[in-house]
Amino acid sequence: MSQNKTKTDMSAPTFWEQYRRKPLGMIGLAIVLVYVFVAIFAPFLTRYSPKQILLADRIAAPIWFRSVVPQYKDAPPTIRAELGPSKWVVSEATGGRLTSDEIDGNAVTVIEFEPVPITMTDESISEGEDDEFQYGDYEGEPSKSVVELSYPIAYDFNPPRTFGSTFNYWIDGSPDSKTELECVIETPEGKEYSLWGKSYSGAVSNQPARVDSRDLTLKQRLGLTIFDDPAPKIFSSKGDYRLILRANSTSGDEPTRVYISNAEFYIPGMVHGLLGADHMGSDLWTQLVYGTRVSLSIGLSAAAISVAVGTAVGIICGYLGGIVDEFMMRVVDVLLAIPTLPILIILGAILGKSVWNIVLLIAAFAWMGTARLVRSQTLSLRERVFVEAAKASGASDAYVMVVHILPNVLPLVFAGMVLRIPSAILTEASLSFLGLGDPRVATWGRMLHNARGFGAFTTLAWWWLVPPGLAITLLSLAFVFIGNTVNEILNPRYRERS
Amino acid sequence: MGFSRYLLKRLVYAFIVVFVIMTFNFAIFRLMPGDATKMIIDPTFTPEAIAELRRQFGLDDPPLVQYFKYIGNLFKFDMGLSFSTRRPVVNELKERLPNTIVLFLTSFIFTTIIGISVGIYTASKRGTFGDNFVTGAGLFAYAVPAFWIQLLLLMLFGYYIPILPIHGTMSAPPPDGFFLQFLDRIHHLILPAGSNVLVAFGSWALYTRNTMLEALGQDYIVTARAKGLEENVVLRHHALRSVLPPIVTLIFGALPGMVSGAVITETIFSWHGVGKYLMDAVMMQDYPAAQGAFYLIALAVVICNLAADIVYGIVDPRIRVGEGGAK
Repeated sequence: MSQNKTKTDMSAPTFWEQYRRKPLGMIGLAIVLVYVFVAIFAPFLTRYSPKQILLADRIAAPIWFRSVVPQYKDAPPTIRAELGPSKWVVSEATGGRLTSDEIDGNAVTVIEFEPVPITMTDESISEGEDDEFQYGDYEGEPSKSVVELSYPIAYDFNPPRTFGSTFNYWIDGSPDSKTELECVIETPEGKEYSLWGKSYSGAVSNQPARVDSRDLTLKQRLGLTIFDDPAPKIFSSKGDYRLILRANSTSGDEPTRVYISNAEFYIPGMVHGLLGADHMGSDLWTQLVYGTRVSLSIGLSAAAISVAVGTAVGIICGYLGGIVDEFMMRVVDVLLAIPTLPILIILGAILGKSVWNIVLLIAAFAWMGTARLVRSQTLSLRERVFVEAAKASGASDAYVMVVHILPNVLPLVFAGMVLRIPSAILTEASLSFLGLGDPRVATWGRMLHNARGFGAFTTLAWWWLVPPGLAITLLSLAFVFIGNTVNEILNPRYRERS
Repeated sequence: MGFSRYLLKRLVYAFIVVFVIMTFNFAIFRLMPGDATKMIIDPTFTPEAIAELRRQFGLDDPPLVQYFKYIGNLFKFDMGLSFSTRRPVVNELKERLPNTIVLFLTSFIFTTIIGISVGIYTASKRGTFGDNFVTGAGLFAYAVPAFWIQLLLLMLFGYYIPILPIHGTMSAPPPDGFFLQFLDRIHHLILPAGSNVLVAFGSWALYTRNTMLEALGQDYIVTARAKGLEENVVLRHHALRSVLPPIVTLIFGALPGMVSGAVITETIFSWHGVGKYLMDAVMMQDYPAAQGAFYLIALAVVICNLAADIVYGIVDPRIRVGEGGAK
């Protein structure tokens, strides 16, 4: 690009030849490359997305704790079963059968009861429609059809803190039919806990059903007080449990069909993934991996913008001199005298929490050092013979600045930019930690913010606190190593400055 | 003569900075989304009440009048009423300032003493261990997020081994007796101040050591040694004297950064100071309070810079003669 290099006549191959002989520089480069790799291939390094919640119990420990920490030896991992039509085992089918249907691409479980002509007394019809169904009321009624679906759960762990199940259901049937649904857990000892039950007459439109061991209604149903936890009580022993869905029907003239879709049973794990889970049950490893993207891109772009602005200001001031120079240098003085973090906090809060705002804000208060450095360099370059010659032959100011000055300050600027990256990364992390980051993106600072605000301390969850800080430290160190090495090679005289 | 001119220049410059900060502070009010009063004015207020409130906050004047009123008030340290507590911001700041100063001075004094001692010691005892230690400590100070180290220390000494208080400046209720109260405050100070020292001393040590080594390579040191002077005397009378100006410059030059850092330290340890006040105000969108706290912090930074310039002028006579670039 330039024919007039004076001080640092160095082509890319020679630079690399020198660079590769510096061990610290190579280490730094290797670390940064690993981070870049992680940032690019983030989706392949984790199964989850950083926004996915409820993947595990709140503040779950890393899964490898089971083989390292004795008290986590039998801690339950997350058990999650999507209960499609094929997952169920029919454990009883009297007067009905299990079939399936497909609605909007979803496989729906259908329990179909054969039509039964009714011969019922008036009393049985006038029975309350929505009464909670008590199993055993109908013993000995011959016209009763029963279908029982069960799902085996092999549970070999310590009692969990919570469990739950969700599904949607609707019923097709003639108005005179009567249908009862019940959801039960059967323990290895054969004891049954009824978690949920409903009773309907006729057809019912789509209803959501939700069983959550923390719900008060469930505790009441099981005869527990509000301070008891059903989960440890039900899953108190290791062994084979069964989740049972029981449907009874006194069908009318037409067949009655019970549809069940989106059925799911889950036990949130107390251990989860490589690094555990946060207070929302979101995967911490995923947040760490995706945080690499944000930190790298914010660090690089803020450093690039600030150095570009600083270089432009420095060259213009140094070359043109006069009132422009005087004014801009006073602006630089004033900006340098304003405390950076407090003003970033205020502006960040006012301008809104977006990644782009943070980049611009960090850059806006980081270009002054470069401007000073470049200006002093330009002042000495301005007096060189080749600049004089260019001016004498009629080159415009802009031409001289771009073609003659810029290439000569670039080595200095380049090293300065690399060394600017760690401070940009640290500033972003500080702002996110204080809660001023973009709430929509996972960043390392945000992980630390959440850790502090949502119980990492009281649960002693050091695995939540340590990784993000280590990631920041390692990346900053890598850029410092690279920056120092580049400085050593390109600007030997400025070595001490960094 | 030369020095008083230099001093005057610095003073004028400091004044300009203060003025710019005041203007910025005023502009914040205009920049922020929505009306400044939306925080305090309830839709159920009567029009008269709203008008009265607007009058109290001076929102009916033309912008230029508001601006000059604002600047004038700031000179009198009248920062208005806090939106959230309805108390004068300056009173709230007055309560918190001593806490901030205590934390700041403790951190600062211990950081400089430890950092400079380690730097001088490792410079005098050249060897791989000292080199590695100081370089490591310097890198540590540069690359490790300070707030992360503080969080780790808080978890370690506040929760794992709960020997230090986890938040606040003193116990509630405070213990009886002056001496016990004093000890209680020290107890609360250990973690915030100690963590500040730990994360910052490395850069001081590195800088001191480098300056010292540079000085030790000078001809007059070689001469002093050649004269047969004791190493101790050489260090103390010859080397230290020449490294003092740059170190003093560093001491004052580092003040603004430490003032800025107070915001995070105070937030982490719930230290009842100006920095946490700023953070809380920003979070609650209490603009008068945020402006007041920011103004105070910025003022402290300007004063520190001014002090740095003055001290620099005293310890390094060259600066009085040459052009301004004091930093």
